[in-house]
Amino acid sequence: MKRLRVAITGLTSCSGCQLALLNCEAELPQLLELVDFRFFPMACSPATLESDYDAALVEGCLSMPHEQELLLSLRKRSRYLVAVGTCAAWGGVAALKNDQDREQLRQQVYGTDSTAALETFSPLPLNAVVQVDATVTGCPPEKEELIGLLTGLLKGSLPTLISYPVCTECRMKETLCLLTERSALCLGPLTLGGCGALCPALGVPCEGCRGPVPEANLAEAMEIYLQKGYAQEAACERLRRFCPGWRA
Amino acid sequence: MSGSRKIDILTRVEGHGTVELLREGGKVTGARLNLFESPRFFEALLVGRRYDEVAEIACRICSICSTAHKVAALQAVEQALKLQVSRQTGLLRELAVQGGQIESHALQIFCLSLPDYLGTSGFSGLAAAFPKELNQGLRLKALGNMIQETVGGRAIHPFNLMLGGVGKVPQAERLRLIHGQLEALHDELAGVVGFVSGLPESLPPVSALPFLAASGGPPLFGDRLTASGGETVMATSAAAWLHERVEPGSNAKVSRFDGKKTFMVGPLARLKLSMPDQTSERATGALLSSSLLARAVELQQALDRAGILISCLLDEGVGQEPPVAATPASGVGTALMEAPRGTLLHSYVFDKGICTAADIITPTAINQAAMEISLQKLILLMNSAGYEEVRSSCERLIRCFDPCISCAVH
Repeated sequence: MKRLRVAITGLTSCSGCQLALLNCEAELPQLLELVDFRFFPMACSPATLESDYDAALVEGCLSMPHEQELLLSLRKRSRYLVAVGTCAAWGGVAALKNDQDREQLRQQVYGTDSTAALETFSPLPLNAVVQVDATVTGCPPEKEELIGLLTGLLKGSLPTLISYPVCTECRMKETLCLLTERSALCLGPLTLGGCGALCPALGVPCEGCRGPVPEANLAEAMEIYLQKGYAQEAACERLRRFCPGWRA
Repeated sequence: MSGSRKIDILTRVEGHGTVELLREGGKVTGARLNLFESPRFFEALLVGRRYDEVAEIACRICSICSTAHKVAALQAVEQALKLQVSRQTGLLRELAVQGGQIESHALQIFCLSLPDYLGTSGFSGLAAAFPKELNQGLRLKALGNMIQETVGGRAIHPFNLMLGGVGKVPQAERLRLIHGQLEALHDELAGVVGFVSGLPESLPPVSALPFLAASGGPPLFGDRLTASGGETVMATSAAAWLHERVEPGSNAKVSRFDGKKTFMVGPLARLKLSMPDQTSERATGALLSSSLLARAVELQQALDRAGILISCLLDEGVGQEPPVAATPASGVGTALMEAPRGTLLHSYVFDKGICTAADIITPTAINQAAMEISLQKLILLMNSAGYEEVRSSCERLIRCFDPCISCAVH
């Protein structure tokens, strides 16, 4: 079989989605027989852009002009471009204060007389600038999702977007409902599944790290939050930690 | 011919940076490090957030060091809120941090550094030419991740480490399984240290710089900074002493201690500080290139320490306990610890439970000045070498520091 020619890079991010791939220790040797990591600066040298890739996997959001340039360049060279992780899909934690003036944030950290990162702009998800062919969300995504993405691409298929909430996975696992039974501010009803409801299974409320589920029963969820003593705004504010544009 | 040329982007390091080589008359005459990583402004993002959100957000600074960031942030917040966690929580956090140390060091040695010594382009080249070495590294890395997953719930951004405690306490059976694996890999580690110490020298002899590390606690923890010149600074004054400021050419702040001195942090610094008279001379040696061996020695130490911690937990009877409840309060908290790449500081101010100021100082930010000085030394030593040779040596030198540029800029 022809090896899949892949470019992997990170923009404004923590490199966690790329590390999640490098964390597939058991699968990596076999994966290397199937996938040719042609551009992967975090793990391979040199970082030279080539004329074409079967797929580009991009982690992180956009907050600097040079990132936009790289993204456009990868789009042009790649048959498929995949947004990997919550930052690439929604903006993520870097976009936490997108409602505030970026220059003010810059000065708050660097001081008023510094020119460091002068070109920074409010973080954007990838689809604000390029056409994104598929999205794998999560902060970070699950290893299985990344393996599935690459093996799917090998056969020329793209992953389908998950449309059910974390709640569904909790029910399948018969995990105790932290919202109804423990009155915790769990974002499971409003958050995209696919993680296997990892956090609630250990008794930790869902923090919404995979972004909003498209067909959430918002009215119902908000009513339960209210019953449990959480104002609608508290739930929304928590959900915006990973998806700044989210509105109830 | 004069001018400058940039190394396009540093590879096999975390994050985004370059080295700019200055040339005059066909010779390389100087080098400038440029960490152009995009800032996320974490210190501004955290202001206004509730006490129970701070560590969950702050751990997103970096993936490789997310356990270290999470633990340091939790400790700083708990100190500010005067929250005392249980001994079991302390041991579990320590274990998670050792797991992170194992994962990070195995990744750096086997996937990022080894290609320099074995002449391949990265881990994919290793898989073809040196499968035994790569697989050994991946096994160690997987064990580090297994520890982080068992305690933190997940290897990256460990949600199970919470304010006041842990969500679900790991089962004794699972800890025993890890203990068995630690023992199984222990003997292999001696071989790894031997293998690394037998690798040929990859750099001209650039000497190591004065160093510092956190001390006064269990391995990788502490309440003060201790430097090679004998200086000791308590955690509460550490930020002022580290004296971070913005300098042109980098999006990461630079530390000039007391406004002028330069120190390096990381595995070599820690070993020089904790075992100055050790026989393992190359690991605590005078050369910067000893960093790789220091990392291998630390890998062995981390495996040993993780085993001791698990034994402690099992002997004392590990069991489920609810996290200590926190109440919104006002106060200041500062935590120092050793992340895989060196000294890490998290400091927060709270007013009635709301964060009003955040200060985070990371290993690679501290190492920036040391990297710059070391690059200059390297270029002096490579006086007659051509551009490509200098360029490749500069990258190798930077990898000695195992930079984490997302951390540095945050």
